[in-house]
Amino acid sequence: MKRYFTDIYESVSSILGGMSITLVHLFKARNDNVTLQYPEEKWPRPERNIGFDHNSYNVIRSRLHVDMDDCIGCLKCERACPVDCIKIETEKAPARGEDLKEIKHKGVTSNGTRKALVVTRFDIDMSECCYCNLCTYPCPEECIFMTGGPNAKKHPIDYEFSEPDRSDLIYRFAKKGAKEGLAELNNSKQEAEA
Amino acid sequence: MGVVHGQEMVLNIGPQHPATHGVLRLQVKTDGEVISEITPYLGYLHRCFEKHCENVSYEQVIPFTDRCDYLASMTMNFGYVVAMEQLMDIKVNDRVEYIRVIMAELQRIASHLLATGVFGLDLGAFTPFLHMLRDRERIIDLFEMTCGARLLYNYMWVGGLSHDLPKGFVEATLKFLDYFEPKIDEFENLLGHNKIFVERTADIGIMPAEVAINYGVTGPNLRASGVNWDLRKDNPYSVYSKLDFNVPIGKGIKGTVGDSWDRFYVRLQEIRESVKIVRQAIDQLPKDGDVHQSMPKKIRPPKGSIYSRTESPRGDLGYYIESDGSDTPYRLKMRSPAFTALGVLNEIAGGWLMSDVLAILGSLDIVLGEIDR
Repeated sequence: MKRYFTDIYESVSSILGGMSITLVHLFKARNDNVTLQYPEEKWPRPERNIGFDHNSYNVIRSRLHVDMDDCIGCLKCERACPVDCIKIETEKAPARGEDLKEIKHKGVTSNGTRKALVVTRFDIDMSECCYCNLCTYPCPEECIFMTGGPNAKKHPIDYEFSEPDRSDLIYRFAKKGAKEGLAELNNSKQEAEA
Repeated sequence: MGVVHGQEMVLNIGPQHPATHGVLRLQVKTDGEVISEITPYLGYLHRCFEKHCENVSYEQVIPFTDRCDYLASMTMNFGYVVAMEQLMDIKVNDRVEYIRVIMAELQRIASHLLATGVFGLDLGAFTPFLHMLRDRERIIDLFEMTCGARLLYNYMWVGGLSHDLPKGFVEATLKFLDYFEPKIDEFENLLGHNKIFVERTADIGIMPAEVAINYGVTGPNLRASGVNWDLRKDNPYSVYSKLDFNVPIGKGIKGTVGDSWDRFYVRLQEIRESVKIVRQAIDQLPKDGDVHQSMPKKIRPPKGSIYSRTESPRGDLGYYIESDGSDTPYRLKMRSPAFTALGVLNEIAGGWLMSDVLAILGSLDIVLGEIDR
């Protein structure tokens, strides 16, 4: 008998307790709103509020971007990638640190390193990428980075990058026609020598 | 009148079932609505973690440890780097240790919030789940502030961290803790003392201490059975020995010691303790210290092997690493706490009703990514 009435009391009191919490939230809903009307509103990205030394840290995970003008083809990012989604091919440049206008190759990086190689292929398969950020740390020229965040000056944030076709997610960063252009250059050079 | 036995029926729960917390198939033998035997079938989420690790370098293993227990990635990283640092005999400075402890404890709060919230959701309580997920989101925002990622961090590295705490992190964390502490009481009232929830969980799925020990169950599940065993206290790693906290154990407040409600309540108490630990760690956090100080240029551990264990939110997380002196592990084995917790399911869920099985499974807080690896 006692059990019966305690059960009723506990049921009613716990339901009232829960409902009172809900009621408080009902009146606080405007202040405490967590729902976002997504495509119109976006959650503020935390990188705007934090005071990082933006030059030395890369604290954003979004799509990868490569500044090809700065890439020296050292393959460090390719080796660091745990899922092997970066593929790089390089060829020897005709002369170290010289611009090749025919294939839009820049000879000197913005850090002042003279390039010995021409990158003929730099493919990143973003559908395979695991966003671990391991490739961005070893880069000596800081040319591979995740877009946005500290790199917003170079490249604004872009984390909505859906594509209708899977092959569109393979980003090809190497300059178009670099391989053929370089072969042509070498041929013409050989002919000139002959 | 004796008990009427009907025909035994074999029933499959899952693999695509929201209450199985991932892709788990439970083959259940039922007699009417009473369960006589449960056989869990694994392998739907198997990603060859251990074999894969033999082919990547030591630092590349860390993103894969993230993906094992995807709800507590920080502590998975933590366990791995602690094992690697013991193997390579690296001593990291205090700032690194304290940041790691702060991260691990925040992760424990986040993981327990999801565990208790989803446990309620399994039993039909939708509101607490939303409340807990909302506050978990704030912790994840803190992590995003720190390392850019929200779920799979790759933050702790062998011999250090990927980067230091951002400016304003300490203030943001303290602000969060001030906001969050009263909410724990709210969760307890909203879910823990709710009559419907108590009726569904108290005295259900009782796991006696000896069963838990025999099956190798660890973590909150073991502590709910009344065994005072926490690696942070009993085998302290990192700076846990300098921090003051209690180990909550199950007392059987609503029913018997080791029932589903106790497992829920121990998690809720652990959230309180974690809040305490984070506050202390922030107080003691050294102002200076380079987080890259003791990071080796190339990770090439000496020949040998190590077994090291840490306390993840789900229990005793062990890493066995065998090194042959090269830059890839010769063998890497992970001892997963959720796997042993799933193993005990048949023992404690036999004889209960069909609806109780999902309550018991929810109370064990398994993560399939960690079980299958």
